[in-house]
Amino acid sequence: MPEKFDHEMGLLNEDIWNMGVLSQKMLLLAVESLKNRDKDLADKVLGMKEELYDYDQHIEEHTLKVLILYQPVAKEMRNLACILKMITYLTRIGRYGYDISKVTLELADQPLVKKLIDIPNMAKIVAGMLDDVLKAWETEDLSLIEDFTERDDVLDEERYSIFRECLTYVMEDPKTITRCMHYVMVARYLERCGDHCCKIAEKVVYKVEGKHVEIS
Amino acid sequence: MVFGFLSSGNNKKGKERKKLHDSSGNNGKRSSNDIILKDINIFYSGKQAIKDVDMTIPEKKVTAFIGPSGCGKSTLLRNINRMNDEIVGCTYDGEILWQGTDILEKKVDPVALRRRIGMVFQKPNPFPKTIFDNIAYGPKLLGIRNKKKLKEIVEKSLRDAALWNEVKDRLNDSAMGLSGGQQQRLCIARALAVEPDVILMDEPCSALDPIATAKIEDLINELKKEYTVVIVTHNMQQASRISDFTGFMYLGELIEFGKTRQIFENPKEDLTERYITGRFG
Repeated sequence: MPEKFDHEMGLLNEDIWNMGVLSQKMLLLAVESLKNRDKDLADKVLGMKEELYDYDQHIEEHTLKVLILYQPVAKEMRNLACILKMITYLTRIGRYGYDISKVTLELADQPLVKKLIDIPNMAKIVAGMLDDVLKAWETEDLSLIEDFTERDDVLDEERYSIFRECLTYVMEDPKTITRCMHYVMVARYLERCGDHCCKIAEKVVYKVEGKHVEIS
Repeated sequence: MVFGFLSSGNNKKGKERKKLHDSSGNNGKRSSNDIILKDINIFYSGKQAIKDVDMTIPEKKVTAFIGPSGCGKSTLLRNINRMNDEIVGCTYDGEILWQGTDILEKKVDPVALRRRIGMVFQKPNPFPKTIFDNIAYGPKLLGIRNKKKLKEIVEKSLRDAALWNEVKDRLNDSAMGLSGGQQQRLCIARALAVEPDVILMDEPCSALDPIATAKIEDLINELKKEYTVVIVTHNMQQASRISDFTGFMYLGELIEFGKTRQIFENPKEDLTERYITGRFG
C-alpha cells in the first residue's frame, strides 16, 4: 500500500508544484505587462486562467480520492489537508494575476503616471515568498518561511506608500484619477497575495510540525 | 522547535492558534478509578513479553492498544484483570493501582477482580444455553436467585448492550442461533450483567462484518458513559474512531501513549508514525 500511496502522492506533489509555478508566472507576467503596457502579454496571462482552474479542480479531486482510498494519518494526512488549502490560495494568487492583466488592458493606451517601481517591487517580494513557501512545503525546511511576518509587513508598507503617492498625483492632476485608482487596487491585490503566502506558510507549518499557528 | 515564531505569546513573529475547545473531555484530572500501570513486566517461561510499561488508563474513557502482532497488547490487557494468572509459565511484576489497591497483589482475589473488570474476547463465546441463561449465569453465580431480579438484570444488560430489541421475544432460544454480531453483543451483555466498572475487549470486532462492527462501535461509545473501556484492536481506523486515548506498543514496550487525535494526527515518536502510516518493517 505505501508504494501505491507514494506514487499517488508523487503525482499530487508534482501538480501542486506546477500549479504554484503557474500562479507565480501569472502574477509576475501580469505586473510586467502593466509596467510595459504590453497588451499581448496581458492577453497571454488571461489565457492561463483555464489551466489554473483545471489544476485547482484536478488536485482537489485527486486529493479527495487519496483521502477516501487510503485514509492516511499523521503527516500524510496533514500534507493532504495542507494541499487542499494551498490550492485555494494558489488559485487566488493566480487570479490576482488575471485581474492585474485586465487592468493592463484598460490602461495600456494611456501613459503611465510615472515609471512603475514599487508595484514591480511588491510583485518581486510576493514571488519570493511564493518560491520559499513552496520550497518549504516540499523540503520541510521551515527556516525558509521564518521571516514571513517581516516580509508581509514590508508589503503592507509598500501598499500604503503607493496609496499616499497616488493621492499626491490625484491632487495635482485629476486626470490621473483612473490610473491611480487602478494602481492602488493593484497594490492591494499584491498585498493580498502576500497574505495568501502567509496562509500557505501556516499550512506548511501544520504539515511539518502538526501545529496550528498564525503568521502575520 | 524549529523556529521562533511558534512559541506562544510572541506576537511579533506569530503565535500558536488558540483552541476553541478541548474535545477530549479529559481535563488532566486524576481519579482513583483510573487504572495506573507502574513498571509492568510480564514474562512467558522467563521470556520477557512486556517491558517496563507505565501508563494511566483514564476512567470512563475508551483506551485502545495498537501495535503489530506479537507486540504484547493482549498480554498487557489480560494482566489488567489477572487473566494471565491462568497461563502456565506466565509471571509478572510491577503494580496496577486501581481504586486505591494494587490489583496484582496476591491477596487480591482474581475471581472477584474479574467481576469488576470484565472481558470480551476476539471470538464470540456464548455458552450453549439460552440467551436468558447466558446473561443470568454470572448473577446466579453471585448468589442472585430471585427470578424477578434476574429478569431485570437480563433486560438491563441486553438493553445496555443494544441487543434487547432484537432478542426480547426469544430469550429462551439458544444463544448459538444468534448472528456473530449478536453473539458478540450478547457476550458484552453477559459481561455487563455482573455490574463491572471496567470492560476489557480483545479485538472484539475482528470476526465481525462491517455492519456488526459498527453496532459494537456505537455500543462502546455508549458504554463509556458508565464504564472504563480498554480495547485491543488491529484496526487502526477503529482505534481512531472509537477511542479517546491510544497506546502504541512494539516488542513489548509502550512506545507512545496519548490522546487518540494526537497519536493519529501528530505522533511524537517516529516508530508510531511509521506504524500507523503502514511504513513498518
